[in-house]
Amino acid sequence: MPEIYPVGMAEMRIARDPDVLAAYGIGSCVIVAMYDPKTKIGGVAHIMLPDSTGISQERLNPRKFADTAVPLLFQTLAHAGCFKTSLIAKIVGGAEMFPPNEDFTNNIGTMNTKAAIKALGKLSIPIAAQDIGGRSGRSLEMKLDSGRINLTVLGESVKEL
Amino acid sequence: MQDISELRKDQLDALRELGNIGSGNACTALAQFLNRKIDMDVPRAKILPLNEMSSLIGGPEEMVIGIFLKVMGHISGRFLLLIPETTGVRLMQTLIPGCTVMTASAMNDLEISCMREVGNILAGAFLNALSVLTRTPMLNSLPSMAFDMAGALIDSVIADMAAVSDHVLMIETSFIESNENLKIHIFLMPDPNSLGQLLDQLGVK
Repeated sequence: MPEIYPVGMAEMRIARDPDVLAAYGIGSCVIVAMYDPKTKIGGVAHIMLPDSTGISQERLNPRKFADTAVPLLFQTLAHAGCFKTSLIAKIVGGAEMFPPNEDFTNNIGTMNTKAAIKALGKLSIPIAAQDIGGRSGRSLEMKLDSGRINLTVLGESVKEL
Repeated sequence: MQDISELRKDQLDALRELGNIGSGNACTALAQFLNRKIDMDVPRAKILPLNEMSSLIGGPEEMVIGIFLKVMGHISGRFLLLIPETTGVRLMQTLIPGCTVMTASAMNDLEISCMREVGNILAGAFLNALSVLTRTPMLNSLPSMAFDMAGALIDSVIADMAAVSDHVLMIETSFIESNENLKIHIFLMPDPNSLGQLLDQLGVK
């Protein structure tokens, strides 16, 4: 039986076929999923913030920030035997959950997805699919037999990415 | 500043007392607003790992109404109400004459505005009590409301508070109206930068 491994906020995890990586209740966070179809190894980073600049080293959790989590996931997968040239990425999340008003603007979700796209670009990892932005929370499961992602959004039927 | 996870017991006790006074005031305001008797849970001051917050209200995929307000002033922070759908529907039916809404996703503008006002009243009453206690003016922003997965609502509220710590400090309580099963969870989360000043004002620096 495949194991399902949930990846919580500011966490990162890799696994291989036939297991499943999951993230539940994603709001402004952005999920960066990477998959190597040759080795059937994949990983998920559950990123909360765009940029780690200014955070002192001893307090830095690199899995929390897009600029550090994306390269870390990449290195971890490479170390586990993934082929760097066959890796593909999918990104999910970055919603703005609470409608902005005069007292606050809410753009952390947008900043997160932008930073994730930028970090993937630096590593030249192609983005094969994405479901980002909007005003709704999401949940996903990535099956490592194929790299397919099943995505759940409130009031919509399950989508495949 | 010390990391949130290193707070001492006397500091947590003082924060819980703060929660007690704020919640007491908010509870009275809610009871007056609804014109019925509301009970209050003993407030808790907790330091939680980022991922455990949603487990307090049934897991990250639990569908809830969230009302979010910023706390502004010398001491800043976040104020979040999480309200189960059944309670939300009940509140609207109580407060709006002739309201027949049955689900949170079917709420119209008036009903959404009504829920935001509930948030406004509770946050205002809570923060008023805190302002008096700490002799520091605190104001709440306009409320914003969403109905979605608890985890998704929480992550967008705590994201930028979590930059330096993997823990969140929250003062938490719930209000219960036993006959009608109203349940409202209140979370107050001081910004990490304001925590020192807050503890100072409480005499437990």
